[in-house]
Amino acid sequence: MGSVFSSMFNRLWGGKKEIRILILGLDGAGKTTILYKLQLGEVVKTKPTIGFNVETLKYKNIAINMWDLGGQTSIRPYWRCYYADTAAVIFVVDSTDKERMVVAKKELHTMLKEDELSDSALLVFANKQDQPGAMTAAEVSKALGLAELKDRSWSIVSSSAIKGEGLTEGLDWLIDVIKEEQM
Amino acid sequence: MGVGHLQRKLRRIFNVPKKGENSEFRTGLVSQYSDERKDTIQRVIAAMTVGKDVSSLFPDILKNIATHDLEQKKLVYLYLMNYAKTNPELCILATNTFVQDTRDPNPLVRALAIRTMGCIRVDKMVDYLCIPLKETLNDDNPYVRKTAAICVAKLFDLNSKLCTEQGFIDTLLEMLDDSNQTVVANAISALLEISKMSDAKLLNVNGVILKRLLLTLNECTEWGRISILVALADYDTQDSGEVEKIVEKVTPQLQHENPAVVLSSIKVILKQLEKVSSDTRERMLRRLTSPLCSLLTNPPEIQYVALKNIRIILEKYPQILARDLQAFFIKYSDPLYLKLEKIDILVRISTKENASILLSELREYAMDVDIQVVNRAIEAIGQLSIKIESISKKAVDILYELYLNRSSYVLEELVVVIQNILRRYDTKYLPTVITVIADLNFDDIDTPEAVSSYIWILGQYCKEIPHLEDRLKVMSEQFGEMDPLAQSSALTCIVKVNLTKSSANTRQLLQKILNKATNEIENADVRDQAYIYWRVLSTDDKALQKKIIMRKLPTLETTIETFSPGLLDQLINEISNLGSVFYKPSSAFIKPKYSDSAFVNKKKLQSRKLEELQQMAKTEIVQNAARAENLLDFEDSDIENEDEGTPEFQDAETKEDDVKNPTANANQILDELSDLFAGMSTQTPAQKAGNKGPQKNNDILGPF
Repeated sequence: MGSVFSSMFNRLWGGKKEIRILILGLDGAGKTTILYKLQLGEVVKTKPTIGFNVETLKYKNIAINMWDLGGQTSIRPYWRCYYADTAAVIFVVDSTDKERMVVAKKELHTMLKEDELSDSALLVFANKQDQPGAMTAAEVSKALGLAELKDRSWSIVSSSAIKGEGLTEGLDWLIDVIKEEQM
Repeated sequence: MGVGHLQRKLRRIFNVPKKGENSEFRTGLVSQYSDERKDTIQRVIAAMTVGKDVSSLFPDILKNIATHDLEQKKLVYLYLMNYAKTNPELCILATNTFVQDTRDPNPLVRALAIRTMGCIRVDKMVDYLCIPLKETLNDDNPYVRKTAAICVAKLFDLNSKLCTEQGFIDTLLEMLDDSNQTVVANAISALLEISKMSDAKLLNVNGVILKRLLLTLNECTEWGRISILVALADYDTQDSGEVEKIVEKVTPQLQHENPAVVLSSIKVILKQLEKVSSDTRERMLRRLTSPLCSLLTNPPEIQYVALKNIRIILEKYPQILARDLQAFFIKYSDPLYLKLEKIDILVRISTKENASILLSELREYAMDVDIQVVNRAIEAIGQLSIKIESISKKAVDILYELYLNRSSYVLEELVVVIQNILRRYDTKYLPTVITVIADLNFDDIDTPEAVSSYIWILGQYCKEIPHLEDRLKVMSEQFGEMDPLAQSSALTCIVKVNLTKSSANTRQLLQKILNKATNEIENADVRDQAYIYWRVLSTDDKALQKKIIMRKLPTLETTIETFSPGLLDQLINEISNLGSVFYKPSSAFIKPKYSDSAFVNKKKLQSRKLEELQQMAKTEIVQNAARAENLLDFEDSDIENEDEGTPEFQDAETKEDDVKNPTANANQILDELSDLFAGMSTQTPAQKAGNKGPQKNNDILGPF
């Protein structure tokens, strides 16, 4: 019972409410790099994520729980465990990986079909723009079939996690959408 | 956009939460407020500890694993350890956090992470365990190292091959030189554990390591000491100098507060003493006396274990506690199980010198309020009187006294004891016994043992028993309802009476009992016994009958149970282990996972049996098919009947084919069968070809 009261007080006095954002995408797309670039502002050396990373970051006075889930085929089925109460999904795509764009598209659309994500906003990062031969945001958007998405706020931003380009722009858009939805 | 927005808001409002505790938990676990999440985790753990099934919350709990709150981390880890088995696939999601935690700046977190990783006994985890394990084994902090050392043993249990390949065992051996004593102790216990699992001796104690062990012994924790003591007990000493050194270093441990350390130390000394001369052994054994006695100052449960161990030691060295009889006297506050165990020990340590003190003590116990204590005390008096002749007179007097003040429940035990005394001293105390028996009737006693003893006395001393024939009459009347044990005694008794003190009445009774035994009794042993007696009695040679039936029994030497010599040696090894309480070597109730050769053989046997069965089935089917083929040549109508004989592997379709194309029939079945068995069998294709070879189908042989 005490817990109920304490949580009520938390809500009343504006206790730290956290917003959940998932970072998804195929393996090697740069999800973990983006997460730590956003949180620490630096590029960390990453290893394939078996499981997940979660970090809380303050952005424009909002506490965001960023969940970076591993993108390996074996882990993808478990993404769905994390869908509940998610405000937004950041889908990261390796823009140089043209072959697997089909796979990425399939995963993206399967994911968006889930009921629990029907309210969530979608931000796509066309990542690795610093690399030669990267597809542009428009090309990625076409390859992923983003235009087919109905009844959902979505946006695509070209980014380079290593250089830190595009990340804040994307996040700004996302926060605005979330604010509009939730407040 | 606006409509969609409204829809969403509405959906959220009407989204009625599911009822039930678990869904309430689930909501709490994914709450947007960190306090609420932590609070829910606490409540989930509380539910878990009282035995509620909260395993369905696994993925939601798992989300809370990545936290900087140590308390929350511990709770989540606890949950994971408990439920990892139920959700093996999902465990993999925790890997990333585990690996990160093993690099946490806080050594407590590092140790906690590696400990939990080891406890999550899921195969998928194993691959990810190696790198963090390697790192933590070389950690700067001894607390992390000692935790990692134990984790190696856990990994070995999960995947021994990987553990060896990755060189973890070598690392453990290197850890014996660690600067921290606890790390050394844990490395030893991990090595011992692995040795036990793999049946290979990994910890080869030599002079250097021995020195190291003895040095560590005094400085590490109590549980570390126990591991070291276990290693010392197994160490094969080279000379008596080494033994003295070990005993000297281990002796201080006998004063340790923890009884497990004391017992382990005793075990080390006992084991090593086998290698020294008897003089030194006597001298060193004396040192064990007071630690053994002081074990009895512990709580009752521990005293019980101590007594069980003392019993084993006494059997090896009966004199060791001769002067400390008083230490084992029963206290009024002892629980029953302790009292019974103490009486057992008392009888074992009794000697000529202290027997009379013990006897008067036992006399007190025999007047206890607890029936079990009384019976045990009477039994003990009997054991004592048989063990030590000099006090037997006094013992019999006490028994007689007990009989006079009798309460009905002492009688049964008393009769059994009297029988034993008679078997030991024959007629020496017969007058006393007869006065007891004269007053005793079948109605007074009930247990099969007591009835059997009573009947034995009647038969053996029939000349002295008053009103013998009346008693025998009652016996014959009750014969049908008796326990087989008593029935058997009754048969012998009546036969003996007829051979020594025969009369018309007894002959009639004999006939009656033999009739009953051979016609009405279901127990085969009793019936056979009756037939044998009958056969013997049918011969006219009285002398021969007497020679067979009235043979004097060997004098009873002791009524105290002993272990078989092989078992005793094994049990000395089990001192301070669970086996000592069961009086069984631990191999009897714990199956080693890898080493049990019986297990391996059994498995091999099973697979071989399977192969044989497959082969048999194949041959049979082929033969049946061939027979069907032959029959076809003569008579078409017989096929169906014949087909019923073939095993059910065949389906209807092939049956039809059989009729149409009989010659291909056998081939086809054989092929099908081979396919069928291919999935099950472990044979190589070549072997299979070999199996096919000798059979009668030339077509199949062709390709080879």
